[in-house]
Amino acid sequence: MEGHSSIIIAVFSTSSGNGKTITAINLAAGLAEEGYRTCLVDLDLQFGDVMGYLDLVSDYTIADAQRAILRDEQHFKIDDYLTEYKCGEASFAVLPPPREINDAYQINVEAVEKIIRSMRGFNFIVLDLTAVFSTLNLAMLDLSTVINYVGVMDFLPAVKNYKVGYDTLLRFDYEESKICLVENMTDQDRYIKSRDVERLLGTKIYHHLPSDYQAVTYSIRMGKPLMYCMPLSPLTQSYWQLVDRYTNRSKQSRAALQYEEQKTGRKKILSWLFGDDDWHTANNTK
Amino acid sequence: MNYRVILVERDADMLSRMAGILKADDTFDLASTYHEVDMALGQSSVFRPTLFLIDMDSADDVKYIARFVKAYPQAQILGLLSQWKSSTAEKLLAAGASGCILKPFSTADVVEALAIYKRRGKPLPTRTLAFFSPKGHSGSTTMATVLAIELAKLSGESVGIIDADLQFGDVAMFFDAVPRHNVVEATHDINLLTPAALEHYFHKVGNGVWIMSGPLQPEHAELVEADRLIEVVRMAGSLFRYVILDLPVGFNPISLALAECADTDILISMISSGQEVRHMKRSLKMFHMWDNYGKQVYTIFSGVHNCTESHKRKIEGELGRSVTLFLPEERRIKDVAGSGRLMKDLPEGTPFIEAVAKFAGDIISGRR
Repeated sequence: MEGHSSIIIAVFSTSSGNGKTITAINLAAGLAEEGYRTCLVDLDLQFGDVMGYLDLVSDYTIADAQRAILRDEQHFKIDDYLTEYKCGEASFAVLPPPREINDAYQINVEAVEKIIRSMRGFNFIVLDLTAVFSTLNLAMLDLSTVINYVGVMDFLPAVKNYKVGYDTLLRFDYEESKICLVENMTDQDRYIKSRDVERLLGTKIYHHLPSDYQAVTYSIRMGKPLMYCMPLSPLTQSYWQLVDRYTNRSKQSRAALQYEEQKTGRKKILSWLFGDDDWHTANNTK
Repeated sequence: MNYRVILVERDADMLSRMAGILKADDTFDLASTYHEVDMALGQSSVFRPTLFLIDMDSADDVKYIARFVKAYPQAQILGLLSQWKSSTAEKLLAAGASGCILKPFSTADVVEALAIYKRRGKPLPTRTLAFFSPKGHSGSTTMATVLAIELAKLSGESVGIIDADLQFGDVAMFFDAVPRHNVVEATHDINLLTPAALEHYFHKVGNGVWIMSGPLQPEHAELVEADRLIEVVRMAGSLFRYVILDLPVGFNPISLALAECADTDILISMISSGQEVRHMKRSLKMFHMWDNYGKQVYTIFSGVHNCTESHKRKIEGELGRSVTLFLPEERRIKDVAGSGRLMKDLPEGTPFIEAVAKFAGDIISGRR
């Protein structure tokens, strides 16, 4: 992977509570598990949940990184400000949001752009954004390779906002091919059907994530991505498929790999489920 | 209805002009004119006036209003301003006047101002309530709109909702309304408006509730300046006894400015991921100072499955302060709000509605 530019995936939505953070975490975990050097950046600067959802603590945040890069860009090393999330052999880096809201106010768009550009060593950078067209978010969408645009279509105002957001992205000249529409909490029994949303948007939904409230709740409580605590959940499988689509790998190769791993006993699926000591969170590695 | 009018104006030319306007309309019987407010206060009793039109360009004259109200309880009072001043209008309303109009006026302006005041409700200062949500997806728009309906229903007074979620506001959709104007136009025009003119920027959704919708496109949010929006909010106080502000998610210049301008801030967060108490505590740090200065700050948790006293105490222990309200999850509310039937099909009698109605009752009675 040396010499390749980082692929930046912006996880964006136009309503809060759509599963952006869960999606960003599981994309980062899946990409890391695939062997890619991955960094997850929590850009919900005021109320970011990545650290809470991964049960991580850190002394350094994006606010420290900003101070350092503005002081001496030449000698700035992003690694000094990242927190590692480790689970077994796989790990990914996290750039936490500021600890205090006042620090969030001091974050400057140009500095964040510089910080993201300094992450050259990563194959993938996953950005967890807020549900608003802010200057920061627009700058990040500009930088990104793909926009993972998440929506939950269980409520007409949410569908309206999804449509408004999509039209705005197109009006802002983001290429259609760059915008990956991801429907979260897909439910066949809902009165708003995916095909109706597709008709409204005039395009196909790129990926559907099924609903699994219990799995998500358990994952947050355990402080682990779904693949490390609920591997058999349909939602976890769907996240793997999404990772495959972004890495251009086939589902078959993963199934074969998992079968091989189970056969050789290198990774035990049940150990994920029951939090076997083979799987470490950052907390228990500290 | 005929009005027996006392007109008070310092400027002789303006007085003559306005007197002429009143004399030309049979609805008004101009009993007397004065240049000085204190003279009018002392001498008007002989004319048994029913309406005072009083020059309020001098801020010092506001102090006379309470004395007029006491001396002439049967009369209505309108302040006359050369330029709109929210602070003067608010002081007049608080003192018991019926509002303010710009001079020189037409007789239609006077009649309209009196009609607005009658519809507005009791002669009491406006309550401005701002709904703030740290992370969104908290049901704050649902709570704000249901509270508006309950306030109007229980008090018989008028309620205005301003959708200040400038990128993705849903208030109009909850009422299946397609307003002709929105907050961008109102903030653009505000320096040229009077309350009567501002009323046209609101959309009547019925039963004493009016809404001002958000922009048509997210990028139009940039056209809304915080200080002008505050002027809209303050002028809306002349139209509505209760002004409800549905703020954008998180802290930004608009949400901070409006939260500061409101007399009551309602912080609302939905129980779902387990991080809500942390978000609420973080938000309260920002509101802490206002809380100390007498502004009312309330905390509400929505989507609560286990609405028991012990659960509430547990959350209060984690939060370090009392929780004002636990709102249970109510699927039917989401259904009627999502399909624009909030006004028509509000599921009365459900725990959610009863909790909001009780909160509305507390606001009306002044307990909150």
